[in-house]
Amino acid sequence: MASLIRPTLLRKQCLTVAARRAFTKQAMPKSMASNIYSQSTVTQSSPFGLSTLRIIQPTALRVAGFHASSRRLILPAGPQVIDGTANDPAPVPEPSPTHGSYHWAFERLISAALIPLTIAPFAAGTLNPITDAILCATILIHSHIGFQALIIDYLPNKRVPKTRALFWWGLRAATLTVGLGLYEFETNDVGLTEAVKRIWTA
Amino acid sequence: MAALRTYTSRLLASTLRHASRPAIATRNYATVEPISATAEAMSATQPPVPPKKTSTIEESGQSPEARTKTFHIYRWSPDTPSEKPKMQSYTLDLNKTGPMMLDALIRIKNEVDPTLTFRRSCREGICGSCAMNIDGVNTLACLCRNPTDTSHEARIYPLPHTYVVKDLVPDLTQFYKQYKSIKPYLQRETKSEDGLENRQSPADRKKLDGLYECILCACCSTSCPSYWWNSEEYLGPAVLLQSYRWLADSRDEHKAERKAMLDNSMSLYRCHTILNCSRTCPKGLNPGKAIAEIKKTMAFT
Repeated sequence: MASLIRPTLLRKQCLTVAARRAFTKQAMPKSMASNIYSQSTVTQSSPFGLSTLRIIQPTALRVAGFHASSRRLILPAGPQVIDGTANDPAPVPEPSPTHGSYHWAFERLISAALIPLTIAPFAAGTLNPITDAILCATILIHSHIGFQALIIDYLPNKRVPKTRALFWWGLRAATLTVGLGLYEFETNDVGLTEAVKRIWTA
Repeated sequence: MAALRTYTSRLLASTLRHASRPAIATRNYATVEPISATAEAMSATQPPVPPKKTSTIEESGQSPEARTKTFHIYRWSPDTPSEKPKMQSYTLDLNKTGPMMLDALIRIKNEVDPTLTFRRSCREGICGSCAMNIDGVNTLACLCRNPTDTSHEARIYPLPHTYVVKDLVPDLTQFYKQYKSIKPYLQRETKSEDGLENRQSPADRKKLDGLYECILCACCSTSCPSYWWNSEEYLGPAVLLQSYRWLADSRDEHKAERKAMLDNSMSLYRCHTILNCSRTCPKGLNPGKAIAEIKKTMAFT
């Protein structure tokens, strides 16, 4: 039973079951099959012992099927495309520092600034709405840049332009919503630093 | 106990509900399907037939004191494109085989199966031809020692995430095209003082150590996840190391142009310091550091 709670155990169990099934190449025993498809038998199984184990295995397999099967691939490799001849250099994109070096420096600056901004209000022991506002804005920009990097990495414009646009605008909407939420929280509630202070009882 | 039981039954019910979802909703992330998880962790789109399902070609004329070792090698031939790639097993007597993986491969090709295809030339880590994935690590077969432990079974694949030409031969066209795009040669307009040589101080020459040794074997680039996903636009560690080799050269006069070529979101900044490149480099170079140096020079000038 622990296997369903602990993922490492689950994976191990699935592997053994899957391997046994693959090597014997036998059809699943009828008792097992009935256990998979009738939910009632599973929930009714009260004794924790060997009988439960027999039930868990196919279930675990199906859980693994949910977690780890390769039914459909994310961005499977397409056919090889070569721009021009093999002797032409790969195209060099137009320089745009706002997406290149300036962006990188800004990203690092924001990340580095977050450390003192997070510590400062607690170290000083005072609650200032301005430091709170700066902290909120920095977190917002930091996470926005981070998610942008994710989209750029995994949703190439050439292959999935529509999905990319969807996620791009979705991210903007999410950032805006979070920004509004933080503004509301700061103006009508206790604010970020105070909230952390209250939750943090360690 | 009762509480635990209700909890687990609820858990079971929820997993069953998930399991009955359509196949489209079930998706695979970094893991592979359970059966082949331990065996074939190679290509998700074209997983090779595992060695258990293929034959083993034994070496003929085994002596009684033979130290027989098994090699599983990725095979795919463009002559039979409808056949799936497979893991062919070979056995060799280590007493008759040289110490390196390349020796074993050459011996298989010479004495066991002449159809096995791989690139090799210098057999001493200078040409970079025999780059391949051996036991899960991109390396040069000629610099990779063959473990003498016969219980260990070697697994040899082509470089990951490359288009395979045949067997262990990857297509590196895009890699070479990218190398060409960074103009890997000295660019200068002014003549040197005596009009003879472009001289360099020993200190300046020292800056090129750890850069000029790169043999462009593509081990680092093909080990980089960023390069796997974006090889069309991201240059990859090997080419960026070469790019830095020319940025660091005191004799080169086109540094601004070289930097401008990299100053966009894709060419350089898809590097997320994963550092697989530095870990895998069979020559012991540090492409990750070179990329960091480029980022530094581009940020603070």
